[in-house]
Amino acid sequence: MTKRTISRRTVMQVGAAAAATFAAPAILHAQTATLKITTWGGKWGEIMKGSVLPAFEKEHKCSVSADQAFPFVPKLQASPKKDPIYDVLHTNSNEQWKCLVEGLVEPKLDTKKVPNLADVYPYAISESIVGVSIFTSAIGLGYRTDKGLAKPTSWKDLADPKLAGMRGGYLIPVNSLGQAHLMMLGKIYGKGFQDLDAAYKALEQLKPIKLFDFTGQMEKAFLSAEVSMGVIHDSGIYRYDGQNQPIDFAIPKEGVPALEQVLSVTPGSKVKELAYAYINYMLRPDVQKQLAEGVWYSPSNKKVNLDAKYDARLFNTPEKVAQLIQMPWKWYNERKDDIDTRVARILKS
Amino acid sequence: MASTADTAPLLAALPAPPRARVSPVAWLVGPALLLFVVFFVLPFGAMALLSFLSGNPASNPNVYFTTRHYERLVGDSLYVEALVATLRIGFVTTIVSLLVGYPLAHWMARMHSRLGHAALLMAVIAPMLTGIVVRTFAWMTLLQDRGVINTTLMAWGWTDQPVKLMYNEFGTIVALVHIYVPFMVLTLTGVIGRIDERLEQAARSLGAGRLRAFYEVTLPLSLPGIMAGSLLVFALSISAYVTPFLMGGTDVLTLPMLIYQQVSSSFNLGFAGALGVVLLAVSLIVVIAYNHVLGRFAGAEKMA
Repeated sequence: MTKRTISRRTVMQVGAAAAATFAAPAILHAQTATLKITTWGGKWGEIMKGSVLPAFEKEHKCSVSADQAFPFVPKLQASPKKDPIYDVLHTNSNEQWKCLVEGLVEPKLDTKKVPNLADVYPYAISESIVGVSIFTSAIGLGYRTDKGLAKPTSWKDLADPKLAGMRGGYLIPVNSLGQAHLMMLGKIYGKGFQDLDAAYKALEQLKPIKLFDFTGQMEKAFLSAEVSMGVIHDSGIYRYDGQNQPIDFAIPKEGVPALEQVLSVTPGSKVKELAYAYINYMLRPDVQKQLAEGVWYSPSNKKVNLDAKYDARLFNTPEKVAQLIQMPWKWYNERKDDIDTRVARILKS
Repeated sequence: MASTADTAPLLAALPAPPRARVSPVAWLVGPALLLFVVFFVLPFGAMALLSFLSGNPASNPNVYFTTRHYERLVGDSLYVEALVATLRIGFVTTIVSLLVGYPLAHWMARMHSRLGHAALLMAVIAPMLTGIVVRTFAWMTLLQDRGVINTTLMAWGWTDQPVKLMYNEFGTIVALVHIYVPFMVLTLTGVIGRIDERLEQAARSLGAGRLRAFYEVTLPLSLPGIMAGSLLVFALSISAYVTPFLMGGTDVLTLPMLIYQQVSSSFNLGFAGALGVVLLAVSLIVVIAYNHVLGRFAGAEKMA
């Protein structure tokens, strides 16, 4: 009996200790607020999870739960508006517009709540942007330097007949670079970004063209010489800097569509102050510098001092920023279904 | 409490109600049934419901019933073409898998060496240990314009231009067959292995040649395996997403690709739901028809 009592007590003690140990994080968790965000994977995700987010958690005594599993918008759509799955939504601009139309994100941010907004380039909070664009990359032409090609100077260079089958683009229904390129074709070959007939005609002329879903695949196609010239953002080429790859990026004279990294807050967020603090933090010069140099994105904050090699190439002066073109995404989204069907027909051989 | 105490003797006086007999099999089937209901019936029901709604009731309180998603699907030949392409890819993949898988399964089932059987089984299963994405990428490195095959052909001077091996239905089907043939082989091996070899021997001793013994005895007896294997491969290949997406380029547009597009970039859950319902309905019709036809063959054999 004595033996059994002792053993039971021991068991209970051990059990209580174990329960306390296992429950500790949960108890701690309950006391600290949790900020739910979306963020990219890859190198960006490594930097975010490695240092940017832990530093924010420490500063604000909170925990951040970051969803890296794309696609984010359908998940936000499926969650109740009063208790959204995310507090801060990070996507490209086209998706933000879709969310705004459905009332899933707040349209604008307030400088009082996000003081660093005062230091961003005007494009980052322009009428074309929902929330704020914290970084941008530029959509231009990537090309292989070992194929005897002259550095492209115009978007029209992609239509050069000798590039047949060696040019690269995107599956327009799923990729915002492809969508921006289509609008750019309307501008160059027609009356403007919204001249879809001219854009379709120009797209027809680009066949045969290899199409990809994500920029990562396009990068791979450049590296393996599957593609000699194609639509890509500067970051997708510059990130191979120093690896001795025969690839380079060209800024066409007609301008470069901006591929904005946009943050916005969901109206139903329960931790709005924390959400604004997070956006403010992401706009802070030191955080901007770290991420900009990590993944070759142009920072939105004017006060960021980049190291020389980044400074030379990224869009971080008023003159360089003037080359960026912001696309009419709201207009595009309203026609997306028709455009998708039309484009699928054009590209299906 | 009082009322309980009052009624207790009364209840005790009554004969015990007959206990509902639950078959032990039902208890065993229970978890599977629960899984089926929770992970198939409910999600499918939600999807089917969404396909008849004008929006998402989670975020929009003013949704109403509509058939517009189905009208759009029927009204545009692109979607009908995608459905036809999906079924075509499914059929061809199934037939090629059967042609490739049957001899292999037959060989495995009739192999007397245990070691040989184990080695073959390992060879069939081994590719399944790597993910579909990895296997598809392996095919891409082989079949793409600068891939192993084209580079070799061009280096030997057999062709100046790369042969179009992928970004079309051909490449898609090659990769799908490779990925799904193990399902066919494993299903067939089990069934062929259970066919009594002596039946074949009897046929031969009665004067049938090797080929005739196979056609008249083994093949009809293995029909259940052919049916199960084909249905498995067909169902898997019409619902495949990654492989057609990576191997097909713009030449191949299947319903699973369209469904993904609708969810991930058009954010139109209703239309995606409609596409899903149609894919399921059409596959069910095909499966029932196939079952019926093969069942007739098997029945005819039994009668004979």
